[in-house]
Amino acid sequence: MGARRAVITGVGAVSAFGVGYDALANGLAAGKSAVGPIRSFDARTFPTRVAGEVPLDKTGASFLEKHRGMLLHVGEATAWEDAGLLRDRKVCFGLVAAAEAWRHARCGGAERKASLSIGLGLEQAFLEDLAEQLDGDEIRIGAGDLAGPEGVRFRSRVDLTAEKIRAVIGLSGRVAVHVSACAAGGMAVAHAASWIERGAADVVLCGAADSMVNPLGIGGMSRLGAPSPRAEPSACRPFDRRRDGLVVGEGAAMFVVEEESRARARGAEIFAVIAGHATTQDAYRATAPRPDGSRALAAMERAVRRANLRPADVGYVNAHGTGTQLNDIAEAKAIRALFGDVPTSSIKGAVGHLMAAAGAIELAACLLAFTRDLLPGTAHFEEPDPECPIHVIGPRPLAKRVDYVLSNSFGFGGQNVSVLLGRPR
Amino acid sequence: MRLDGKGLPVVAVSTLTAAGLSGPGLARRVLEDGIPSPRELAAPAPSRPEDIRQRKLMSRAAWFSALVMRGALAEARWDEGRDEIGAFFGVGASGAEMDEVARLVAASMVEGQFSLARCGREGLDACNPLFAFQIMNNFTLCHGAILEGLAGPNAAFFSRGAGTLTALEEACAAITSGACERALVGGADTALHPVTMAELEREGFLRQGLMPAEGAAALAITSEAEAPLGYVEAVRFFPVDRPRGALVPRTGVLRDAAVPAALDALEDQPCDVVVLAPWGAPAREALVDLPEMLEAELSVDASLSLGESLAATPALAWVLALDLLVHLDKHRALVLSAGPDGDLGAVVLTKGGA
Repeated sequence: MGARRAVITGVGAVSAFGVGYDALANGLAAGKSAVGPIRSFDARTFPTRVAGEVPLDKTGASFLEKHRGMLLHVGEATAWEDAGLLRDRKVCFGLVAAAEAWRHARCGGAERKASLSIGLGLEQAFLEDLAEQLDGDEIRIGAGDLAGPEGVRFRSRVDLTAEKIRAVIGLSGRVAVHVSACAAGGMAVAHAASWIERGAADVVLCGAADSMVNPLGIGGMSRLGAPSPRAEPSACRPFDRRRDGLVVGEGAAMFVVEEESRARARGAEIFAVIAGHATTQDAYRATAPRPDGSRALAAMERAVRRANLRPADVGYVNAHGTGTQLNDIAEAKAIRALFGDVPTSSIKGAVGHLMAAAGAIELAACLLAFTRDLLPGTAHFEEPDPECPIHVIGPRPLAKRVDYVLSNSFGFGGQNVSVLLGRPR
Repeated sequence: MRLDGKGLPVVAVSTLTAAGLSGPGLARRVLEDGIPSPRELAAPAPSRPEDIRQRKLMSRAAWFSALVMRGALAEARWDEGRDEIGAFFGVGASGAEMDEVARLVAASMVEGQFSLARCGREGLDACNPLFAFQIMNNFTLCHGAILEGLAGPNAAFFSRGAGTLTALEEACAAITSGACERALVGGADTALHPVTMAELEREGFLRQGLMPAEGAAALAITSEAEAPLGYVEAVRFFPVDRPRGALVPRTGVLRDAAVPAALDALEDQPCDVVVLAPWGAPAREALVDLPEMLEAELSVDASLSLGESLAATPALAWVLALDLLVHLDKHRALVLSAGPDGDLGAVVLTKGGA
């Protein structure tokens, strides 16, 4: 019996390009950028005023009902909205992307035993709720009368998106919620592949959802100094000499990942093989990546080794490429050291940094390499940086046929993950 | 996951509870001395107290985790090769200090109402710029990893029970697959954060008698060891159906699932000790008869003994079970956990020694 391999048979996405995987794929294939002024809240006085924002003002029941496929019960979405469950935008994004992936893979009753491995961002804090409890210089929240009324108050629960996806799709397998900051999406997909490989699951719905396009999310990132200070659509310019920070994005990407022979037996279309994956830790600083990129390099090296490949077999690297000074230099060093001149790009200039969902949306972007023989471009990249001596694909995608692509995600706190996808045979 | 042979050796443990920071010895405290009532634990003093960045940088759970990681590493004498040690933790919700949140909100008010415009202009500047790190719950894993130089494979799982079990399973998988030879695994959390307390109240857990606590536990596991404290024989998950929209499975359904799950995890072989880690009264009610049905000589309810420290509770229960085996010279223990992130979790542990 051959080794069990994990393959991707369905994908769904919600991004700044719009709802649906096609919106993402078409936007990237056209070399567009979807970063623009924040519309979902009035950010005029905020230090950061642009984002890769999903083009809708408000998430709610009507959004979910419009993007069907998840077998909502009558009145269910409205009840969730009334209870405050949909205030956190990532809940809707995750549900819609999961439903699309499930439908895309033509999953049915036989797949409902699937497990769920999902990367999720932080709880959304609701400042207006907290303000209601302000008493002098103290916020009075706690047990008993201080708990507030029924429903979601003060913050959404971290695993709310997972709970709703599990219920709505009707999954009966186990659930893992990765909270590894910006590495969470890649880790969730790697985990799904690992479950398949070792026989812990046959089908896994996996991916990630996040939105920090809210006052505390945008404000908190601004206080850290991570976003670009420029309120322009070109604010994020990964690997460009003039880069000055990231742009916050939001959205979700979900995949159906299953054991290859099972997928083939049911006639599912295979979009990619998850050939390798690995995680490492920088163990360096809370506020900065390891400057020599050595642990990022170790993650990439191990993912290649796990796939029984050589670095030269990898034809494209989808970089974490945040557009910050420190990340891009360290990552470029690591990519150069392992892969030399391999074509590399970051889609964060086009859709923003989706935080916990970054790795997932970027793996979705990587599928273009196999479905359209296109390597996504790096929006707003114009002036190469001598400190990033790698082959950066410019704003337009590169038409090229490759067999293996590698995607990096590195999280605040030093968590690194590399996932290697292969062209299906 | 069932491990081959005896299983994976556990060579050191460290816990932080209301009884303080300790290596082995939790069983004696539970059985003989008693554990003090759950209370707010003392977070360690920063090395440079005058540096506000140190005080504000991390959540309490991140500090707890760092403490037990350090304790387990010292106990295991893992001083070398830390670049390749893995770290897998179950973590809880964000733990931002409320005084920081209050400063932000207070500076954003206009005539008694929250003003978004003022929040952008003045509110954000009123809180510590490093406040964001308190909010990021993966720092419950990363803070300790950074301080201790653990640079191997890793993952942080949000846990309302099962996530911490996933951390243990992934640590075991990392070792058996050769991704690393040694790993720290555990959980750290606080149920005493005001927003978490409000959530537990609204979800009904406090009314049902849940005793909120805070704590942390870390176990050092490895591919081989000569005289370990014990072995992880199996880590098993049993998803349990629940009505759509329900927070937890029905008690009867959970009870019906628990017996076959326990027998399956134990492979129909006996165990001497059962440690239960139920989150909330319905889960406790579902599991309470299990030790008698399994004819275990001793059973302990970890959540009753130590309080409910959410993501930390399963890991504390594993340490308690290992410790009971050593303390009472017993051979085999089953730890059964059930939390609102669904699913029964079963860990089978055996006593180590030469």
